[in-house]
Amino acid sequence: LQDLLELAVSATASGCIYGLIALAYLLMIRPTGIINFAVGEWAMVASFGGFILLTKYEWPYPLGMAAVVAFMILVGWATERIAVRPLVEKGAPLLAPILALLGVLVVTREIISVSFPPDPLPVPFPFGIGRLEIGPIGGSYQSFFIIAVTLAVFAGTWFFFEKTLWGKSFEAVSLNRRAAALMGINLSRVTALSFAGGAGAAGLAGLLVSPNISAHYLMGVPLAIQGFTALVIGGVGRVEGALLGGLLLAFAEQFIARYAPIPSGYTQGVPLLFLMIFLLVRPTGLLRARA
Amino acid sequence: MVRMWGLLACALLIGAADAQTIKIGVITDRVGVSKPYSEPATEGVIFGADEINRRGGLLGRKIELLVEDDQSRPDISAALARKLVEQGAVFILSVSLSPATQQQQTVTMEAKTPQMTPMNSADYLTTQLDNPYFWQTGPLGSVQIATLLAHAKTKNFKRVALITDNSDLGQAIAKAFKGTLEKAGIQIVAEEVVARGATTAMPQMQKLRAANPEAMFLAGVLTAENVLIFRAYKELGVKFPIHSSYNLSVPIYETVAKGLINGITFVDAYDPDKPEVKAFEAAYKKATGKDPQNLHGYGYDGIMLIADAIRRAGSTDKEKIREAMQKTSYAGVMGKKGMKYSFPEGKRAGFDPDGMVVRVYEKDRQGRVLHVGTK
Repeated sequence: LQDLLELAVSATASGCIYGLIALAYLLMIRPTGIINFAVGEWAMVASFGGFILLTKYEWPYPLGMAAVVAFMILVGWATERIAVRPLVEKGAPLLAPILALLGVLVVTREIISVSFPPDPLPVPFPFGIGRLEIGPIGGSYQSFFIIAVTLAVFAGTWFFFEKTLWGKSFEAVSLNRRAAALMGINLSRVTALSFAGGAGAAGLAGLLVSPNISAHYLMGVPLAIQGFTALVIGGVGRVEGALLGGLLLAFAEQFIARYAPIPSGYTQGVPLLFLMIFLLVRPTGLLRARA
Repeated sequence: MVRMWGLLACALLIGAADAQTIKIGVITDRVGVSKPYSEPATEGVIFGADEINRRGGLLGRKIELLVEDDQSRPDISAALARKLVEQGAVFILSVSLSPATQQQQTVTMEAKTPQMTPMNSADYLTTQLDNPYFWQTGPLGSVQIATLLAHAKTKNFKRVALITDNSDLGQAIAKAFKGTLEKAGIQIVAEEVVARGATTAMPQMQKLRAANPEAMFLAGVLTAENVLIFRAYKELGVKFPIHSSYNLSVPIYETVAKGLINGITFVDAYDPDKPEVKAFEAAYKKATGKDPQNLHGYGYDGIMLIADAIRRAGSTDKEKIREAMQKTSYAGVMGKKGMKYSFPEGKRAGFDPDGMVVRVYEKDRQGRVLHVGTK
């Protein structure tokens, strides 16, 4: 039983990371319909930011974390300005910005790979390496930190969409862009903010996961795939879906690797199997949008 | 017309200056998968060439290195070997990936140009092609495994676990580990794989803990995933000893896996107590201000072996260099104390099969030698 609870904590932490990446996709896809696979690279950029500020210059963790997230918000905003808005304004089809963002993915990765040494780089833990026991539940400090931060982010996002006028304007745009524009909602501002928020969420995921997996230039694509799978499982309809999808995916991955009687090499296929099943059987995900 | 004569004169002058140097081609990897290994090795080559030149050069002439980058890609490397041959290189030193080195042999065999790799470990490099112009002085993969297991045998393990990643090389090493372990009659009670891009190795380590082995063999070569394995090991508080492939001999783990690696044993070709190593480390530090790693030693030995052959050949004639190289008997930086590189009985893999050592991490530093050779 101890194994089970231990693994549950570890899977919850991994699921929270996937959930944050899924949230990044969701924030952009809802108002704009654009799916941005560069979220994984954004997570990578944030981990390198963590390496520079926290490892190299040894900033205090909260300050470094705030600076990295602020920088990522800026990156998201700039990406929208440079790679998305010009295409949208010229009336290009939806596929155009999606492809442009794939270009952003490649360019970002190459810039990082030529600017840093080739080896994985260390990013520090905010509370060091250690183990926390709450009753029968035990796990690393970092696992609990990841879970706490993710819950706070999701709670904040939920509050924003459900309770604030700004959030409502996002909802309105995602329901009907034209009608929302006629109601006086500034479409380009909503789009810019959605990219800024997406980059912030992806950056936070990168910063939280990098003490475990280190900062390296090939870390983006696996994160992008895991987050996308979580999004497909949870559905794009509701914010909670992203977290639910992430948790389900991580639990499936880790519990199958631990308990299923199949050779360890095959368990890597589980996320892709999930992706295919959900796309075939329930392409809208588990949670449907409210009417 | 005058200008043309001028150009011709310039070309002749440059040609005359060229004749003064002995050109040695270096094929390295500056951007590809082998970059973390090729870059330090190339720095070792450059340091060695500078040292030879400072001491008066070779046969009274200076060494000139012609460095090319093949990105570890076999499709590029052969063309670069051709380019180096045409530029007048009398020897080619290959420090990128084994498959790229293999491809270069198609050129050096045909152009009868001596070529050697001081660090590639693939066993097939000297067995697949009968190329009398090619030598390999890096420790072979089979030797690495045999040395690690010779040390493990002294512990009388009966039940062990095996863990690796899903990269090609990680899978290949795990397969070799498995074969050798089973041949030695040691039972493998659990076999786990951590996928590239995983965020934790917790489930795999829990399974290993449940299988309760006497030791764990680590065959993975992906640094980030290996760190995940060490993290889960530490977090779960398991105690069985870890025996690792030569991947752990790369000192990046001293920084990226800080606090996680104390007590891990790994196979290496570098003995810090060896007099040649101490002299090399002091000289390198003095010249560059940096501490060298084992990878620098591979490159340094490579250029020194070439210089030794040219010196004994007494000429830059490629056929004479080939004959001299085959008769090599040279003690370098790499290998156990007293080891000499040689190519007995017409063989062209020159690292002594008993020349590797097993070392241990002490705190966060690569520490002392625990075991030598395959016996």
